[in-house]
Amino acid sequence: MNERASNGLVGWLLISLVLGYAGILLLAPLVMMILGAFKDGLQPILDDLTTPDALSALGLSIRLALLAALTNGVLGFLAAWVLARHNFTGKRIFNALVDMPFVISPVIIGYVMIVLFGRVGWLKDFPIKLAFSVEAMFVVTVFVSLPFVIRELQPVLATLMPEHEEAAYTLGASRWMTFRRVIFPSLRHALTVGVMLTLARALGEFGAAAVIGGAVEGSTETATIFINRALLDRNPSAAYAMSLLLGVIAIILLIAMNRIRHAGGRHVHPN
Amino acid sequence: MSIQIKHAIKRYGAQAVVDDISLDIQDGELFVLLGASGSGKSTLLRMIAGLTPTDGGTVILHGRDVTALTPQKRGTGFVFQNYALFPHMTVAQNIAFGLEVQRLPRRERDARVSELLTLIEMADLGNRLPSQLSGGQQQRVAVARALAANPAVLLLDEPFGALDVKIRGQLRHSLREIQRKLKVTTILVTHDQEEAFELADRIGVIDHGRLLEVGTPDQLYHAPQHRFTAGFLGAAAMLPAHRNGTAVHLGARSLPASADTSHLANQPVEIMVRPESVTVALSPEQVEGHRLGAGLVEGITFAGAFERLTLRLESGEVINALLTTAQARTLALRGGDCVWVGVRDYHILSAGV
Amino acid sequence: MAQAAIQSPARITPTVDVGAWGLRASALIYLAVLIITPLVVITVEGLRGGVESLWVSITRPAALQAVWLSISTAGIMALINGVMGTLTAVVLARYRFPGKRLFNSLIDLPFAIPTLVTGVMLVLLYGPQTALGGFLSRELGWKIVFAPSGIVLALTFVGYPFVIRAVQPVLEALDTRPQEAAYTLGASEWTTFRRVVLPAILPAVLTGSLLSFARALGEFGSIVIVAGNVSKTAAVYIYGQVENSDMAGASGVSLLMLAIALTITFIVSRLNKGITR
Repeated sequence: MNERASNGLVGWLLISLVLGYAGILLLAPLVMMILGAFKDGLQPILDDLTTPDALSALGLSIRLALLAALTNGVLGFLAAWVLARHNFTGKRIFNALVDMPFVISPVIIGYVMIVLFGRVGWLKDFPIKLAFSVEAMFVVTVFVSLPFVIRELQPVLATLMPEHEEAAYTLGASRWMTFRRVIFPSLRHALTVGVMLTLARALGEFGAAAVIGGAVEGSTETATIFINRALLDRNPSAAYAMSLLLGVIAIILLIAMNRIRHAGGRHVHPN
Repeated sequence: MSIQIKHAIKRYGAQAVVDDISLDIQDGELFVLLGASGSGKSTLLRMIAGLTPTDGGTVILHGRDVTALTPQKRGTGFVFQNYALFPHMTVAQNIAFGLEVQRLPRRERDARVSELLTLIEMADLGNRLPSQLSGGQQQRVAVARALAANPAVLLLDEPFGALDVKIRGQLRHSLREIQRKLKVTTILVTHDQEEAFELADRIGVIDHGRLLEVGTPDQLYHAPQHRFTAGFLGAAAMLPAHRNGTAVHLGARSLPASADTSHLANQPVEIMVRPESVTVALSPEQVEGHRLGAGLVEGITFAGAFERLTLRLESGEVINALLTTAQARTLALRGGDCVWVGVRDYHILSAGV
Repeated sequence: MAQAAIQSPARITPTVDVGAWGLRASALIYLAVLIITPLVVITVEGLRGGVESLWVSITRPAALQAVWLSISTAGIMALINGVMGTLTAVVLARYRFPGKRLFNSLIDLPFAIPTLVTGVMLVLLYGPQTALGGFLSRELGWKIVFAPSGIVLALTFVGYPFVIRAVQPVLEALDTRPQEAAYTLGASEWTTFRRVVLPAILPAVLTGSLLSFARALGEFGSIVIVAGNVSKTAAVYIYGQVENSDMAGASGVSLLMLAIALTITFIVSRLNKGITR
């Protein structure tokens, strides 16, 4: 679609409509939260965030998010590679199923964990006591943030021309060297964006963690569960403070992702 | 003998895309594989490079049987149709890639890259990215990259296909120069017969996976052995005739046949007549060359440097003649005019080839 | 051992059988374990008491209400985002305005922000105790928080980027010549959009809407804050069942939601067949 040289009246109307809609829908609540949180200044926020419970919850969330990012980064890369370049029976189905974590409610995932690893679960004699534990949180976090790396990489992998690799081969490069010097550099940006989306999703995980019962403060409470508990305990300021922090982290990730997308020079988008 | 291909075969499903091709290419030669799209010429080239595995046959480069070797080990330089420059590397880095693989020390690498940049006349563009180059420049970089590590043979797959007609001429010329200077054995694949004429020391004509014939441009243009070659390399009228004794007979007329076509004696043959060899006159005595008889002017087309006449001979065949502007003016012909047709040169081919 | 096959048959794959096979195996195990396991578990648990028992647990009034609430709110949201998302994508493709780049980056905000935080933000803006919320509730009788409207609002926030991001690449890649042809034939901008552009982007619009719909069906974090226990969506219902250790109750609705989600995924996959995915 061509960009118009000038917008015209209709153009500006539409632009206003779109921006207004986005403003009311997205920005207003965000602004409201920032204002609300800073109502009494910065100090109360910091106080709320530096309680032992808050710090431990935050620490857990960050650790889980980083681990999930690492796991999904590596394995997601492999999965995207295999899906893009190998053919096997059932490939189409596998590919469609990668979207599963987007569409299954996280609550259902938590439910599955209990069914599998709970006291009367399928795998109740599994050596690692998984349900209601940090390990369980790790598994669900990996699950819910699974698709991002794969979906970011796939379009880029699809546009890689075989000729580039063949050129490298004719110039004497081994497969590994070709991967390292010719293929991977084109994928760096998409991989980074995918990892960041994974981080954001992992930090925001709530539904599954709530079901698994991560309500034991200090051990299995994530930042999001902390917020929920704070609200239930009628401690709104702590809830708002933590919400603000998570919101700020999310925005930072967002800005970083956009920088990288522009640096990558292509319009790559999440879905 | 620099490159030998023996009975190369490649099948996709039941179809043979390369159907038992054998070829010998001389050291330092620029050999052109000429054929239509889908004729198997690119596949053959890729088989030489090792990018497509063979289903049969051997490839020998400078005495080494490389048939079982990976592309990495064959020592060929390959230029792809879309150049395949590494997009995230600069021009210099692209060219240096093959040298890096060989672990050439930095200083020698840089020197060699400089040398090549000068050769392709892009000395101060070493730091550009491929996306910042024009099509012609990208092609030159692709050639330089392939040549950097002194390959035993240079392979080019329709390297001019994606370029503007104007640029093609310049680049063909530079490629020829570079090839002559470096004396590197080169195989170039194309469907453009003009390109083949301009560049080739010898041409191999390929049709439907088979190598029809090999020869110099002159040989193939003036004395093709196959109907396909005759038609592919230029406009030609193919007149059915019969050879016996020392002549070929087209109906009532006959033309002399030289001794070296005696192997076609008592066979149906075809006479290849190129439009530029056809002559036209207003009376039988004025006809240049051998007389073919009377003809009717069916059409006259203006083609810039000359005029093309479509003539129908008494015997019913239609042939074209080319008249220079001067001749056209002198004759002042119009559609429907009756003229006398002659032929200066012609070539005899076996019919059914 | 199977050689790794790449798309075009003309490509050579220097034989590294073991490596390729190991690669494929680990990637598939990763996917299989993580994705297939839940599917299997949900299906088995859902059918544990037989189809009859499944039917009973799904048709409980509370369950039906919750499922219907999920579907209706998600549906409304998909409609809203379908229209506004398409409009937003078109505006971004067609016009230039100050702050456009910034705006484009902000579109992904709902992807980045934890849904729980989204819920908190919405309550802070529209809650009954706020100026705005109180005003809307008193003057217009429009209760947002702790009501279905709030759910639609939260879902609209969460689903905002889907249609936009689905349509944008298609718009960008669109051949402009058919539009130009339409102009030369006298068609107005609107007619051209309606009859030339819209049909071309419709699959993308549908894909985006369907994905946002499916995503919304499973939404939990923001709903819990915005609607609390008053209006229960399917996800909240399941949560409640698990909390009460009523695993049978949870399993039925879970299977139902899974079935819906899978159906949508495959429809989307069909729609995307021609597109690089």
